[in-house]
Amino acid sequence: MKFFEDIKKDFNTMIWVLIPVAIAINIVMGQIVVILKLPIYLDSIGTVLVAVIGGPWAGALTGALSNTIWGLLIDPNALPWWPVAFFIGLVAGFCAKGGLFKTWWKVLIAGFLIALTAAIVSTPIAVYIYGGITASGSSFITAYLLQTGQGVFQSVFSTNFLVEPVDKISTSLLAFAIIQGLSSRFLARFPRPENVEIEQGAERTQLFIAVGIVILLVLIAAFVLVKILG
Amino acid sequence: MRERLSFYVKRESFLHHLNPLTKLTLAFGLVFAAFLSPWYWTPSFFVLFAIIPLSFIGKVQREYFGAALRLILPAAGFLFLMQSFFQPIGVKVIFKFWFLDITQESLMFAFTNASRIFVMVSSFTLFLLTTHPSELMSDLTRRGLPSQFAYVIISTIQIIPQMQAKAQTIIAAQRSRGLDTQGSFFNRIGALVPLVGPLVFGSLVEVEERAIAIEARGFTSTSIKTSLREIPDTRFDKMFRWFLILLVIAVIAARIWLS
Repeated sequence: MKFFEDIKKDFNTMIWVLIPVAIAINIVMGQIVVILKLPIYLDSIGTVLVAVIGGPWAGALTGALSNTIWGLLIDPNALPWWPVAFFIGLVAGFCAKGGLFKTWWKVLIAGFLIALTAAIVSTPIAVYIYGGITASGSSFITAYLLQTGQGVFQSVFSTNFLVEPVDKISTSLLAFAIIQGLSSRFLARFPRPENVEIEQGAERTQLFIAVGIVILLVLIAAFVLVKILG
Repeated sequence: MRERLSFYVKRESFLHHLNPLTKLTLAFGLVFAAFLSPWYWTPSFFVLFAIIPLSFIGKVQREYFGAALRLILPAAGFLFLMQSFFQPIGVKVIFKFWFLDITQESLMFAFTNASRIFVMVSSFTLFLLTTHPSELMSDLTRRGLPSQFAYVIISTIQIIPQMQAKAQTIIAAQRSRGLDTQGSFFNRIGALVPLVGPLVFGSLVEVEERAIAIEARGFTSTSIKTSLREIPDTRFDKMFRWFLILLVIAVIAARIWLS
């Protein structure tokens, strides 16, 4: 099977050793953010990091194990959300494969795509396991939307869609900054060092195109949101 | 700071001597049955007649009740309140508060959901209290789980406390240099970089050394490895696992039958 052979190639010893460190980074970052009382999670930096230099499947594995271990050892409420972390890793890996982790403004697009995935995947989990209202603070928005007469799915998805992009874009930017700080000799030992080679001469026109794409995405998203809510 | 991050309490009991896979099946079986059951009383029934007796059989009742009162009950209680207030379902209003209605249906819905979460968290807590992580991993590796997975899980459990200690040190060090970690919102955002940088780069530096070390010890070798510890798997274990699987199937059948 060529598919499995390709996946196997992504898992060298360096990645197997990096995964536990990345999981620990996820968990400890999540706790630092709580100490600093910031309104974001930043608990998937390690996942994105592994996904970018180790490929989508390594990232997906890191995400899934991260939530499982977090759930089993620290806060059992984290356990049902492992598919979200799985898809965050997977999508981040594919974004990196497509060259979205080479310059900072492309990372913004990657962050947005990751946020969209997270919002879509976490909606059914919140609805089927928690009945739409979870124990997190953003559930007050969901509760408000439910009171205005929206359906459960629409309310949960709109809430996620409001909360996720800020978190996932900052996560991707931080992961990108960390990778830029690592030496290329170190990165070369991982399976996918070509994902993070800085693009030479990223031109102004490209920047404008990218900003245009971001604005377009936001507009489409707003339109979809209005459609769902209206 | 504890050296290892683990709930495990070493005792001599029937539950401790069960095969780890049996206990894992038990935890998942209870969770699936509680979530898939068509009756609202199933989760509470499990708490009263499975989880609490099991905590006594495993001789971990004190630790279990401690965790239940401190962690599980507040979380489930909060969920219950949120849902009974905010679920806009049902017509039979029992109680009115400002613009919020509590109906019989929303109360029922909230109770079912909160007790399901209670069962989920409780059964995993019980599992962790009576199972040593490395015992579980060596048993699963013997059954065909790739040893790399076992490495990832065991080494994560060891790394997390180390990294938490490192994070505490870095926070203290940066504070002594005058870093503001409690001031205004923008100050706290600014504090993120001098905290994250040293923590992440410091831990990534160790990765390469560790990779060389475990490669030298045959990490990538595909030959069968022997284990120092023998983990018993009795006939009772096998029968009990089948019983749990049948229980879940029966619950699913009941749900389909009744819907």
